[in-house]
Amino acid sequence: MEGVVLALFVCLVLALITKKLALPSIPFYIIAGLLIGKSGLGLVGVDGVAQFLTHLGLLFLLFFLGLEIKPDRIWSNHRAIAQSGLLDLHINVIIGFVAAYALGFSFADALVVAAAFFISSTAMAVTSLVENKKLLMREAETIVWLMVFEDIVVILVLAFFGSSGEHPLIVLAKTVSLLLALILITHTGRDYITSILKRDDELPVLLTFSAVLGIAALASAWGIPESFMVIAFGTILGTIDPVSFEVHSRPFKDVFLVVFFVFFGITTDIFAEGVSVVAIAGVSIVAVFSKYLSGIAIGHFVHGNRNSGIEIWANTIGRGEFSIAIAALWGSGAVSSTIATMVIVTSITGAFVAKYSNAIRNVLAWPREKNRGSPPPG
Amino acid sequence: MALRSLNLPGIGTKYELETEKKDIIAIFFLKSGNIQMYTLPHDSSTPCVAELTPPEARRIGAILSGAIMEADKESVEIAFSALSDLRISVHTYIIGKHCAGKSLEELQIRARTGATVIAVSRGGRNIINPPPGFTFEEGDAIVAIGEADQLRQLEQVILVT
Repeated sequence: MEGVVLALFVCLVLALITKKLALPSIPFYIIAGLLIGKSGLGLVGVDGVAQFLTHLGLLFLLFFLGLEIKPDRIWSNHRAIAQSGLLDLHINVIIGFVAAYALGFSFADALVVAAAFFISSTAMAVTSLVENKKLLMREAETIVWLMVFEDIVVILVLAFFGSSGEHPLIVLAKTVSLLLALILITHTGRDYITSILKRDDELPVLLTFSAVLGIAALASAWGIPESFMVIAFGTILGTIDPVSFEVHSRPFKDVFLVVFFVFFGITTDIFAEGVSVVAIAGVSIVAVFSKYLSGIAIGHFVHGNRNSGIEIWANTIGRGEFSIAIAALWGSGAVSSTIATMVIVTSITGAFVAKYSNAIRNVLAWPREKNRGSPPPG
Repeated sequence: MALRSLNLPGIGTKYELETEKKDIIAIFFLKSGNIQMYTLPHDSSTPCVAELTPPEARRIGAILSGAIMEADKESVEIAFSALSDLRISVHTYIIGKHCAGKSLEELQIRARTGATVIAVSRGGRNIINPPPGFTFEEGDAIVAIGEADQLRQLEQVILVT
């Protein structure tokens, strides 16, 4: 318990500083965790309380992701989403996997690294576009849809790899029937749920909190992927009243997610045996360049201008919450250390590259394409 | 004038307008509640941007919809959807030297212009519906209501001359 409190106060101070400097806070929570945990001073260890809060952080992160997914909107933009998304997926997963495998990770570990390597931080990309006032850029829309595509990939990864040892078809049948039951319940009880959400006592918050925990508990008791179920539940509730659910779950997400990040840092031991510094540094550096390649490819094929790719790169370098989630779910010790370092390196690099992207664009630009107009996608 | 609106997941709603002269204005209603307004001249590739709070955005909106506003005076025009030809303006003015010491009755504001003074703010104190015998002091902020023409009269006939 004291450990959690100490960790929280360290994060509070860091949050104050990073917000003031307009830097992403996720890498600093992880650095703080590394410093006070196993890799550093060893002040804080993991106890039952920390484990529970960390789990809540992950659940609410996923629930929030689900709320943001709007199937109809995605479908109406599927062309724009798929074109840039597939380029991004192929380039980064292949480079991530090859790099990790070449640097000595086992086949399975390299796959986990590749998944975390591919997924840019949606939160960082969005904040970067808003804070650096780049929403009018033609590339901004492409970046936003790219993040949506990556989110969908996260969901598929969680659905496929999160299942228990049962036969996949049985798991699938269970998942589908639970989903249908949820859709049926939420839609027949729609008016009742909406009326509860409108109240100003403790009911809306209590409903949101217990619904998320309830679905997670139900899913794990039934042997179906808990993470996937929580996301799907978010998407289903999002069709009823996304704003209310977002408002009522935000405080949980904000606090528990910080606990999740700092304890990820605390439990990660980057100086453990079998963790190669070369592999960790290698993956982090390749992670920055790989998004450069995919950015340029998207700029070239979608905008007809490779220089557009520099902007796309600048805002998608940062890996964050979902990479950490993947590491927390399946990462071995070495994989977690690698992903922790990659998140720290890419998110801080990304924050600076995005801030100074105009200057960087002038230095890196292909002169021939400098003044060529880039048509908006779609 | 082509206006297109777009929902951007995680960011908010975007409205983009291309003017007759091919300049681009884009407004983003962010999820944080703030509004970012971009303008991009047709002959440039670098946009200008301002971030507004909701009250600031409403103020800009009032100016753009035709209300008069100067540094120390501002006005709001009220239109009712059910009474489409009724447009009432509410305007604030600052009392100058030559009106100071005169009462509402002496100035004959309503008789001469048609506009009505509905409130006066003096040194942080508000007087709502000032009586006919109310005497103005220099620096009083007054709120007048009426049609745009009547307020223009008030400004020209009473306050300026």
